[in-house]
Amino acid sequence: MIIEDVIGFLKKAQPFQSLDEITLRNLATNVSMELHPRGSLILQQDGPPSDYLRIIKKGSVKVFMKTGDGDEIIIDYRGEGESFGMLSLVGGDKSRANVIATEDTICYLLKKDFIIKLLDTNAAFTEFFLKSYFNKFIDKTYVEMRNKSVLFSGGDKVLFTTMLSELISRDVVTAPQDATIKEVAEVMSRSSISSLVLVDPEGNVPVGIVTDRDLRDKVVAKARNVNDPISTIMSVSLIKADAHDYCFEALLKMIRYNIHHLLVVDRGKLAGVVTNHDLMMLQGISPLSISREIEIQKSIEGLIPASKKINKIIDLLVKEGAKASNVTRVITEINDRLVRRMLEITEMKLGPPPVPYCWIAFGSEGRSEQTFRTDQDNAIIYDDPKTDEEREKAKSYFLNFALDMKDALIKCGFPPCPANYMASNPRWCQPLSVWKDYFAKWIEHPTPEAVLFSLIFFDFRPISGNAILAHKLRSYLGHILKGQNIFLASMAGALLKNRPPLGFFGTFVLQKKGEHKDELNIKENGIGIIVGAARLFALEKGVASTSTLERLRDLKDKHPVLTELGEELEQVFEFLMSLRLHHQFDQISRGIEPDNYINPDDLGALERNTLKESFKLLSRIYDSISEEYKPGMVGQL
Amino acid sequence: MRALEVCREKVTSVLSGRSSIDIPIDKAAYVVLDTELTGLDIKKDSIISIGAVKMHGRSIDLGSSFYRLVNPSAELRHESIVIHGITPSELAEKPPIGEVISELIDFCGGDVIVGHFAAIDLGFIGREVRALLNMRLQNRVLDTQRIHEWIKMNNGSFSRHYAVRSEDQSLFALAREYHVPVSEGHNALSDAFITAQVFQRLLSILPGLGLFTLKDLLRIGKP
Repeated sequence: MIIEDVIGFLKKAQPFQSLDEITLRNLATNVSMELHPRGSLILQQDGPPSDYLRIIKKGSVKVFMKTGDGDEIIIDYRGEGESFGMLSLVGGDKSRANVIATEDTICYLLKKDFIIKLLDTNAAFTEFFLKSYFNKFIDKTYVEMRNKSVLFSGGDKVLFTTMLSELISRDVVTAPQDATIKEVAEVMSRSSISSLVLVDPEGNVPVGIVTDRDLRDKVVAKARNVNDPISTIMSVSLIKADAHDYCFEALLKMIRYNIHHLLVVDRGKLAGVVTNHDLMMLQGISPLSISREIEIQKSIEGLIPASKKINKIIDLLVKEGAKASNVTRVITEINDRLVRRMLEITEMKLGPPPVPYCWIAFGSEGRSEQTFRTDQDNAIIYDDPKTDEEREKAKSYFLNFALDMKDALIKCGFPPCPANYMASNPRWCQPLSVWKDYFAKWIEHPTPEAVLFSLIFFDFRPISGNAILAHKLRSYLGHILKGQNIFLASMAGALLKNRPPLGFFGTFVLQKKGEHKDELNIKENGIGIIVGAARLFALEKGVASTSTLERLRDLKDKHPVLTELGEELEQVFEFLMSLRLHHQFDQISRGIEPDNYINPDDLGALERNTLKESFKLLSRIYDSISEEYKPGMVGQL
Repeated sequence: MRALEVCREKVTSVLSGRSSIDIPIDKAAYVVLDTELTGLDIKKDSIISIGAVKMHGRSIDLGSSFYRLVNPSAELRHESIVIHGITPSELAEKPPIGEVISELIDFCGGDVIVGHFAAIDLGFIGREVRALLNMRLQNRVLDTQRIHEWIKMNNGSFSRHYAVRSEDQSLFALAREYHVPVSEGHNALSDAFITAQVFQRLLSILPGLGLFTLKDLLRIGKP
């Protein structure tokens, strides 16, 4: 019965669910169970390697690394059903990261032998871990290089179907093993390389490798004669892969030995070198490579293939189990680059603008919360023209410009906004002074239309061009909002139209009929409430950020409700976003148009409970808003 | 009987085979067990079933579990049938107690035996060992209820937080107190598993109270 529980648990945990019943049972009868009290360090970076793969039965852990200069890089948070310790288990030399229990955590421990055997025999199992761990780990070397920017690379089937022979660079610089230190150093210096492979000249068989470091440590520092043969200082323990190995095997070796270059041999002879960078580029859909592809395009047509890859990135990130906020951040970054490049191309076509302008986005794009391709939501603010002539010129230039942009965006897969909130609509392509008038009018007379506009436009964010124009508009908005309690109450009223779908007895309130019977709208009745609350509080307290998570963080010390519930609300937002992301991802992969309707019965027990808890928190937020923003009450807290 | 001889040797070898009491708590091997009885009267009642799981330090070996139903010599009392949901006919097909006891001895080896209110379980098991082999079990024994009580007395913050709680020290009360999940159906094995998880939590508290070795643990946790 104890074993049945373990099997039942494993059946729900990736990637074990792919294993057959016999393997699962065999695995389960060798499981042990540990309790790690909150705050205890389970694995220590550079400490002894783990002999177990630990799967979290209950609780959660934080995986993090310390860099040389003492910075902490958080690699991941892992929760129920997720596992840790794989890398150190495969590597066998040391733990790669620190793992600390963030609450009392119960783990199932799977013995190393079993895991190694599964990795060797079960492709689906291997692929899962390759994606969820190894890439994350490899990314970290890039993270360090690129100053902690978040960067994901995708592992894809290509790693399992491409042989190293297809990938290696053949022109490896080598030197004969009987060369002198001086000769070798000259070759390295001439070719600007930091390491060089030494070969047996007879058969081109690699016999050793020498690096800059060897020259420094073993020659210069030791004042060794540079006419000594290179063989006296080279390293002979070469880590090699076979040209007929698949790329993921090379990746495993790099991880196992903590190296970034791997010699590739073909029937014993040196065939080339492969680097972890090659492996990332091979996948071709890493955000980095897409960004590069975008930068080099000269025409809108050239951008189309790159833009098509963006959904693939989402695909990969979701499969890798990235947090929703990381997915949206990466997507926003890439979409921004795409739009910027379009603007540059359009400027090249139409000539330089008569006055400075700023291209702004709003809606989810403005909040940096885009996932799957969404409608265009954009506008132009341009500098106030000085003369009538300039005014006419600017008007016609920017309108033409916006129309070109609209077409370009459509070509790259962003459908036009049905409500025409686009720069190509003359109403939303205006000089700064007109924008200021718009905002002032909306706030002064919060008609239903004005409130609707405010909800949409006040999330604006500069994408490209002269950002100062957007900042001026933002600070003007902050200025005119002060004390506008009636307006804020109207905004609150709009927000309160959608209630968290939880009934009096804590049960889900579901659609009673129609296409979405027994489902609930996670955007309208969940995510939207948090977005709306964050926007409302940000406007009230003059917080300029537009992304929901940033708003929640910036408001923590400013708004009493968020001082109390801000952190929980961040987590709930993250949870609901990721639920929606997975839901839509699933729909798209089944060829269905993505929507926001979720059936609680389709969720696992854990998710369902978390959803319920989330809605309970939203109900509290909802109630406090309806209490606080009754007319005349704003600013009382 | 040859089998009994082997069994006797095993019991004897426990004395030489048990580990030093100076080893750290985390390095010791434990068998956490629970019995189900027809009643609490050691003269009249008997064992219905025995369940046990092994622990290495604080780690529970889920694969190494022991669960046997016993063909009872005493009449099953009506109340316990209601409690345990085990019918006399189910038990009649099971092995007699002697066989189960010798398997249990095998399972326990030289490990430290742990139980909740262990004196009761060990009383009945001891009686059967005596009847079978005319010997005493040589394993060291710990009682989770005693360890819990000691922690309560000696952990300031614990007693402050938990003092108001009821004095109920039944296994399920402790399970609740230490947030050990308790499922619905019960038998000797599932209760042994719950005891093991309670024990796991107790062990994680002890280093903070200055207890590190098996010796320390035996000092406070003997039944």
